Amino acid sequence: MTEPLFLLGDARSSPFRRLGSDVLRSIDAVREAYARHGRARWIVLDADALGLLASAVHGHDRWHRLLLLERASTARRELLHALFRVVVAPDDGVSLLPPEELAEVMDDEGAEDRFIGGVVDADDRALVLYRGNLDRLVVPHAWFKARPKARPDFAAFAVTDYGQTVQLGDYEASADAILYDLDPDARRRMKEREIKRDASFGGALRRLRSARGIARSDFAPLSAKTVARIERGEVDEPHGDTLATIAKRLGVKPEQIKSY
Amino acid sequence: MAFRLPLPDPLPARGWKVKIRDLERNEPPHVTILRKQRAWRFALRTRTFLDEVPDPKDVPEEIVTEILRQLDVLCREWDAMYPENPIESREDDDD
Repeated sequence: MTEPLFLLGDARSSPFRRLGSDVLRSIDAVREAYARHGRARWIVLDADALGLLASAVHGHDRWHRLLLLERASTARRELLHALFRVVVAPDDGVSLLPPEELAEVMDDEGAEDRFIGGVVDADDRALVLYRGNLDRLVVPHAWFKARPKARPDFAAFAVTDYGQTVQLGDYEASADAILYDLDPDARRRMKEREIKRDASFGGALRRLRSARGIARSDFAPLSAKTVARIERGEVDEPHGDTLATIAKRLGVKPEQIKSY
Repeated sequence: MAFRLPLPDPLPARGWKVKIRDLERNEPPHVTILRKQRAWRFALRTRTFLDEVPDPKDVPEEIVTEILRQLDVLCREWDAMYPENPIESREDDDD
């Protein structure tokens, strides 16, 4: 991750002291950093630092993203929302990783593929997850399929395992699974790693079919044997009606299959 | 409910976990070994690591030994959680 990460506040007794980021201590330093960088992540540790930030920043560049570790007044939150593209802050219903894990995830090169917290929107049946790059990802409740031995309990939401697991009571979902299905950029990164193993159409079909929980015998009028041969690359890459049948059953466009 | 494999001391105190979560990228069947922000996928069919990164050599040998010792339990748990993608459904089953 190449985006700068700026820290405001007294980090001496906090896990965030491990971050190699710049600690900004004056209004001038904050203004200069905000103006010079088109997009950056900001972490504000305490109320004094929040006051410094609020008094220093005046601008219209809204690609900056902010993590507050202390509550702010409603008026100050409104101000910050006007100045930052995303503001992640403690509030009613917002759950964040413990500070030690939060600092490690924010410092990780793969921070964008980890979650640092989130909030459950029960009315709209959605889960808003915050990523380590301080972007958001919205996941509908219905996306979390119940399992034979577990049902998701959104009232017991937490992010655990250093951002690698979304916990919904006894039900746990891996961050990779969520990102693979819902974020094309994350899927591309994961796919690049998997391509080393199998970059074929068949490999993509096998990954997507398994991710959807669909059996090879579920592609009528194609036989399971035909699907198996396509997955193993024993026949030419399908096209026409065969490709359309496969795509329709998988619920994607034909040209999207190879992106999985 | 996610399955968590009990590990011998001192591995848990050092932050190591082995899990099958309720929602994994479920191809192919695997357990996930977790420590801090790193994760390794270990395939239950082939009994090998699925990924080259992070380096499988960073996983203590005692963890792999415990996974192999408890392989039957892990396979049963996987099959119960992912009946649509069972361990025994190998690549050639449809032939």
